[in-house]
Amino acid sequence: MIRVRATFEKKGRAKYISHLDLNRCMLRTFRRSRLPIWYTEGFNPHPYYSFALALSLGFESSCEIMDFNLNEDVPFDEVRDRLNAVMPEGMRVVKVAEQVQKITAIAKAEYAFSLVSDDTDGLFEAVQNLLAQPEILIEKKTKKGIKTVDIKPDMEVLSCEKNGNSVDISMHLPAGTQTNYNPTLFMEALKLTTEIQFEPENIRRMAILCADNTVFA
Amino acid sequence: MNLKEKIEKHLLEVQKPSRYIGGEVGSVIKDKSKVDVRFAFCFPDTYDIGMSHLGMKILYSLTNERENYWCERCYAPGNDFEEIMRKNDIPLYALESLDPIKDFDFIGFTLQYELSYSTILNMLDLAGIPIFAKDRTPELTQIVVAGGPCVCNPEPLADFFDIFILGEGEEVNLELMDLYHEMKKQGASRIEFLRKATQIEGIYVPQFYSFEYKEDGTIERMNVSDGAPEVIRKRIIKDMDKVYYPENFVVPFTEIVHDRVSVEVLRGCIRGCRFCQAGFIYRPFREKSTESICRQTKALCENTGYDEVSLASLSTSDHSDIDHMLTQLIDYTANERINLSLPSLRVDNFSESLLEKIKKVRKSGLTFAAEGGTQRLRDVINKNVSEDEIMNTCRIAFEGGYSSVKLYFMMGLPTETDADIEGIADLAQRIVDLFYSIENRPKGRGVQVSVSCATFVPKPFTPFQFEPQDTREMIEHKQELLLSSVKTKKVKVSYHDPNVSMLEVILAKGDRRLCKVIYAAWKKGCKFDSWEEHYKFDKWMEAFSDCGVDPSFYANRRFEYDEILPWDHLDYLVSKEFLIRENKTAHQSKTTPNCRLRCSGCGVNKKVGRECF
Repeated sequence: MIRVRATFEKKGRAKYISHLDLNRCMLRTFRRSRLPIWYTEGFNPHPYYSFALALSLGFESSCEIMDFNLNEDVPFDEVRDRLNAVMPEGMRVVKVAEQVQKITAIAKAEYAFSLVSDDTDGLFEAVQNLLAQPEILIEKKTKKGIKTVDIKPDMEVLSCEKNGNSVDISMHLPAGTQTNYNPTLFMEALKLTTEIQFEPENIRRMAILCADNTVFA
Repeated sequence: MNLKEKIEKHLLEVQKPSRYIGGEVGSVIKDKSKVDVRFAFCFPDTYDIGMSHLGMKILYSLTNERENYWCERCYAPGNDFEEIMRKNDIPLYALESLDPIKDFDFIGFTLQYELSYSTILNMLDLAGIPIFAKDRTPELTQIVVAGGPCVCNPEPLADFFDIFILGEGEEVNLELMDLYHEMKKQGASRIEFLRKATQIEGIYVPQFYSFEYKEDGTIERMNVSDGAPEVIRKRIIKDMDKVYYPENFVVPFTEIVHDRVSVEVLRGCIRGCRFCQAGFIYRPFREKSTESICRQTKALCENTGYDEVSLASLSTSDHSDIDHMLTQLIDYTANERINLSLPSLRVDNFSESLLEKIKKVRKSGLTFAAEGGTQRLRDVINKNVSEDEIMNTCRIAFEGGYSSVKLYFMMGLPTETDADIEGIADLAQRIVDLFYSIENRPKGRGVQVSVSCATFVPKPFTPFQFEPQDTREMIEHKQELLLSSVKTKKVKVSYHDPNVSMLEVILAKGDRRLCKVIYAAWKKGCKFDSWEEHYKFDKWMEAFSDCGVDPSFYANRRFEYDEILPWDHLDYLVSKEFLIRENKTAHQSKTTPNCRLRCSGCGVNKKVGRECF
């Protein structure tokens, strides 16, 4: 059995595929590819594959991670090409490689998004003000109920620029098996501090990273 | 902002957005500049339902095989998205190009059930297409057509459609599109095209027909104009092995009702159950060869990536090569780890080795469509399942580890008495008793018998087309009687809302005077009538009363044998004389043998010009 890690894009119309639907979609993609994917043993054998991080509905990504196993040795490039030949529009495998790190090594993810507004100057200032706060408190739904968290300490803004009718932001947020912050948390916090109307657009996951900011592989 | 941007701006506000944006594997995208005729195939229900429809998959692929024709899909949006569409001027669009369907050459609806009619009006409105055929442009474009089983009596929709297509669409759809293409090039008008289209067998243009009524409300006579034929005969495919079958399906992202490969194994039915419309309107019986079935199964599984396949037919067990066919299929599917689902399979005369194989793959529950509670009533409806057969199969199943059984019945069947209703409870009780009489029954579990009762709906082109439906009071009495006849908690009873079945029979047996009622009901907000949570019975009743139409004239009146029926000018190959004969036989509680045992002279073979077997 060969352990394999695929990095794939989910863009365009594919961003409307929910996480649950993505599971079904991949099952069928594997079947169409006729790759010798490893099945679980037991009463109800099914192809084994798992996604490192769930991606919110409506987000695009260039760096989704999917692990699976093969029964036979197939060259990685061939695995990539055979999957791409049968993938839905908007989804494309960019890389197939060995599984180097454990899933638990994932610590954060990089997101980029645009906040579209009629008043970009005002919105830009509101963003700057929010970022200057000592703490950014927001209510977050967890399995145990709603709790208030301070996202400031774990949030690292990489860039924040005015760009035509939008304010474009990129940031690191915690991700992985422990803590997961969604960029929409930041947007909710922003809404609480400003009257200026804005619409988020083009939310993208740019990279999945380890604690030392290296790309997870 | 183009339409795609408008849609995407709001897509994340709605449930299951992947239903509204296309891009599925298997969907066909063409270059519009190279396409001559565009066809929007519309299913008047949501994506989840419509995407499951096999006929649409066949005709979609078939049309798209032609390089210069483009068939696209269109479904009714859920209420959440409809609201957004109306508020933001998003007209109903097709999923492949995301272009508005009002700009298409053909807008085709499939009429699968009567309770979708109000949704059709809603979709036309949402598309920005005039709802009444008479209000559409005189130019040759935007032809609104319909096909499917309910087209066997399309009269309640006659004012809304330009063309009805009778019977199987595989050949006639392309003939119609070819004619359109030719006449479009010549610069013909809409009316010229419609006149010419009536010359194609199976094409019914309702505006060339008009009706006069007697004082008692029944039909006096039908008038035909514009050289259209007096009688329109449905189309059939002669050879099931030569007819087109797709090698690929559109594979949805979101889960749909029938989310699997579906392979048609035969058309028509030899059984002749007297309540069953499909059993008569799809005649003659025609089989696909085992070789075709296996080849199509393999191609579809490989191209779609589905890991489940189901066989589609009215009665798969009646395939003459069933044992060999299933053996071959199971060998393939087991090897490829594909689930084979075998709905409504009679297992009476299978070989031992096949039974063993079926046991391994069969996961679905045990279901019997007994339909009637007593043997007498089952003879009346010609449902040839005997109590012995039910008991035998239950015994085998219980010994094999099953502990639950589902039984389907109808209530309000012709000649039905209270004794027949009590018979339902008795039959269920005997199955419970049988379970406890078996020594090696599943231990540690009780038995569960689910009884599901639908209200009988008499349908056109069946021997029961003349029959009235029970009134609501009669059905409610029978439902109470059944509940009080059941003495054990091991039998669970459920039944349908009789108010839904009442609308169903009215729309099924109605005439053109219902067009205005459907329109009025839609104006009052009726749509998705087959969805319990959307059905507005009071609004429908208001619509009937506003239009001065008496629902009981259609629902609870016996149609006479010599009456001109609203669908008498449509020829579904089965003769009216045969249906009358069968109706009389039913009232004598006599059965008619299946078509393989003996030809009962329904008239199909004479019209097709060859024997069925």
